[in-house]
Amino acid sequence: MSGLGGLDRPGAPAGPGAWDERRQEWPEAEPHPRESGAGAPGTAAGADELSARVDGVVDGVGESSVSSARVGGAGESSTRVGGADKPCTPAREPTAVGPRPASPRRTGADPVKALMHRHRDLCERAVDPLEIAAGLEAHGVTDRTAARFLHRDVFSLAEEIYARVPRDSEKPPGGPLLTTPRARADWLLLTLLPGALCAAVVTALHLTHGQSRVIAAAAGALAVALALRAALARGPLATTDRTNPTATRTSWLIAYALLGDGLLRAAMTGGPDTLPTGTADGPWPFTTAPVLALTLSCAPAAWCAHLLAVRARRKLSASRGLAEFATSVKPLLLGTFVLYLGALTALLTLTTTALDEPAAYPQTLTLGALLLLARLLTTHGFTHAPALVLTATASAEATALVTLFAARLPGCAWLATPVQALIDTWGPAAVPTLACGAGALTLLLHATRTLTRASAHATRDQPW
Amino acid sequence: MHIGLIAEGGYPFVSGDAGLWCDRLVRGLGQHEFDIYALSRSERQETEGWVPLPPQVNRVRTAPLWTVEDDGMGYGRRARRRFTECYGELVAVLCAGSAIDGAGPSEDPSATEADRFGNALYGLAELARDAGGLVGALRSEAAVRALERACRARGATSAAREARVPDLLAVAAHLERALRPLSLDWYEDDGLGSVDLCHATSGGTAALPGLLAHHFCDVPLLLTEYGVRLRTHYLAATESSPAVRALLAAFHGRLAAETYTRATLITPGNSHARRWQERCGADREKLRTVYPGMDAARFAEVGEAPDCADPDTLVWVGRVEPAKDLVSLLHAFAEVRKEEPKARLRIVGTPSGPEGAAYLGHCKALAVQLFPDEAEGPHTVGDNPVSFEEIGGPEIPALADAYASGAVTVLSSVVEGFPIGLVEAMLCGRATVSTDVGAVVEVIGGTGLVVPPRNPRALAEACVALLRDPERRERLGAAARARALELFTVEQNVAAFHGIYLEIVSRTPVRRVVLDEAGAPLPFAVPAEAHVPGRWTGRTARVVARGGPARPTEAPVRATSLPATEGAR
Repeated sequence: MSGLGGLDRPGAPAGPGAWDERRQEWPEAEPHPRESGAGAPGTAAGADELSARVDGVVDGVGESSVSSARVGGAGESSTRVGGADKPCTPAREPTAVGPRPASPRRTGADPVKALMHRHRDLCERAVDPLEIAAGLEAHGVTDRTAARFLHRDVFSLAEEIYARVPRDSEKPPGGPLLTTPRARADWLLLTLLPGALCAAVVTALHLTHGQSRVIAAAAGALAVALALRAALARGPLATTDRTNPTATRTSWLIAYALLGDGLLRAAMTGGPDTLPTGTADGPWPFTTAPVLALTLSCAPAAWCAHLLAVRARRKLSASRGLAEFATSVKPLLLGTFVLYLGALTALLTLTTTALDEPAAYPQTLTLGALLLLARLLTTHGFTHAPALVLTATASAEATALVTLFAARLPGCAWLATPVQALIDTWGPAAVPTLACGAGALTLLLHATRTLTRASAHATRDQPW
Repeated sequence: MHIGLIAEGGYPFVSGDAGLWCDRLVRGLGQHEFDIYALSRSERQETEGWVPLPPQVNRVRTAPLWTVEDDGMGYGRRARRRFTECYGELVAVLCAGSAIDGAGPSEDPSATEADRFGNALYGLAELARDAGGLVGALRSEAAVRALERACRARGATSAAREARVPDLLAVAAHLERALRPLSLDWYEDDGLGSVDLCHATSGGTAALPGLLAHHFCDVPLLLTEYGVRLRTHYLAATESSPAVRALLAAFHGRLAAETYTRATLITPGNSHARRWQERCGADREKLRTVYPGMDAARFAEVGEAPDCADPDTLVWVGRVEPAKDLVSLLHAFAEVRKEEPKARLRIVGTPSGPEGAAYLGHCKALAVQLFPDEAEGPHTVGDNPVSFEEIGGPEIPALADAYASGAVTVLSSVVEGFPIGLVEAMLCGRATVSTDVGAVVEVIGGTGLVVPPRNPRALAEACVALLRDPERRERLGAAARARALELFTVEQNVAAFHGIYLEIVSRTPVRRVVLDEAGAPLPFAVPAEAHVPGRWTGRTARVVARGGPARPTEAPVRATSLPATEGAR
């Protein structure tokens, strides 16, 4: 150590030739890396610098560098500090090569402050000293650089910086706004497709007769089903979770809306004697207006879901606590729901007037509400409850039909009594209205509890 | 010996980033049996398949980290309470601040906090093992609520207290991802419970299975970190809000500290990683630096052949990116040209990413500006003294030829981890001039010249010194090659790990109780001879791990293999 201190005095600068002499000695005097560990780099660099300055005492340098590597500990740090401002000096001092004498670098009284200024982004951002250490190292600051700031290593330098960074608490608390989903043309157009197709099919049904009408109905049903599938595959109504597919139950509910009331009425009077003809009149009539309104309402449903998603994200970034978020999202959810119901009512009025069919508000509105809520819940990851409720609703409607037909068996007439009483009191529309209404109410209650949770509106599988 | 090798996103997948050394390790230690437990990072990685595995690999179990199937199991009241307790405890520790906040890890409050963190972590793991469904629970509102409570509790750091709802959600989502290994079914007696030693090939998520195996089955854990995960996390997570970063930094810091505490031995890849590990609470006595191994055979021909390179050529080899500071190299070369007008510079490398490509274009433009084309005589076609080349071209068919083409290899980086290019140059027996960054000094160890970074003049002086002195070049090159062959070869790496395996198993053997058919413990069932090579006891013995806290001894399982350690190899 004392040897090092002596050698470190400013002496006659030597040319690069001095390196060579030392290297001859170096390989055998090289410290073993395991032992030297963290100590080796500092001393090796120190030795480099020294040897660049000292010409004659070569052997002494080699030995002293090794001994310092072995000793390590306190001596090592003092070595570093001693050679603190060296790394740039030997490069500037040698007169053999450099054409101009090096001017001393301007350093202020507080070099750490300059460093903090250079890395001010990092310093302001850092949440702990280690982050500053990692960032400094990524910018090339090493322990030897830290020694220039009179620190043992980067960690202690980072600690000083972290302690010195002014942390004003009156920073605006508003963090970066969450990215909100944007309305895009693809799903906007796709949600219009089922309604358009359904309107075309209804027109075709009105214009065709007999065999061609059957073909038109079958092809139309298929086309509308495919269009619905496409419309729900993307946009705000899309779902990634495929654990509980509800397509069958949904199709059954829509089919009931189309055919159910007619069948129920026919079953009451002993029918049906023929298959449906595809018209609104006849023994087993089609009620196309509700279905047309429902398919047309795909677009408002998607818009409402989009609105809910966007507003919920905004509230999410604005609110400070979970409870606050829940209370602010609840009116939003109910408002969206009412908005959709309003749109559906308007569409239904339009279609019944256009098709000149009897108005079927209660059963259509409840069905629409049920389907929207089920879809919203599924989209936000709650698949269990919608699947359950849809199953229950579909089975309730099926049961009503089955009991009417089973009552025709001898001795089973009592089976029809409840449904019969229901229909006698409120008409055949009461069956789907009650079934769907109960389901929709259940889902609404469920949604006000689950969709107001913050976790429901978090995007899965991607970090923010 | 039966080793469970835990890898994340690397081995044995084809596109793994750190797969190579694992492959060399497994192939190099044919006398041991390996079970590989791999966590895959992406779907693409899984579909691309595995590398061919040597016969000593008994089996491979993989689990995805990129997706997770929610088993849809809802918790009962009791399990939910258990979850809320454990998770609440975990996040309370996180909100109380980072593990390494100034105070040493030995300080009492910090140790208590570390204990709380460990207990909460193992509590969650036990819950996942007993009741399943941890994924759903970690995603649920209950988790977010627990997090909010912890952030608003007294004693939370100011950063945590400022957490808003999106921050809470982000933290919960990140924790869910980070804790996915807790839900794996690897910790049974036919999984990680049956191995003699867990070797985690990186910290962080990959170390979690090792931690749990240590907790459940008392299997010793060896942790190898070539890059410190915690540091990677700090560098990667710069986008989120302060609250998120504070909480996640606390989590990763605590996890690292817990891993370092529980690991029997830790092998950093260089002294830089070692410093970080010591800083994060690793016990100095546990640390054994094991340098990464390089395949020396590729460079043997160049390294041992007499130096036939152009004595005036400097070579730079590497991936072109701003951190390599080629601009400084070009300026240095301008100085070199003043002294040695015949000097040439070859820059061999491909750009990495669009940023690298832009940087390469910039450097080419600068080279053209600094150095006009020059010709030998008035009638010959000239060219630029600085040439930009890529490996695979007609002049440089292989990597070794790149180093062989120059008398001096230059490394001009301002930021560097473990300088692989430098080791390659050393293996080729080249004299080198490098900047003092990263692990350069540690690697070069005096067998090459080292100058400060961002100092073209010093770089130029060192280059000129070497260019003028062929004898010295030769001497330095030979010394560098000798050093590299001793320290940075695959053989060295494999031998080091072999020794470490033996050390761990001899110090902390897994104690297993052998049960007879009736389920009673069999005394002396594992005789001392069981520790000599070969299978002495056959496969009829029944083995159960002892020491797992929640493990009753009345659940015996078949031994997959008795500890057949290698005494003779």
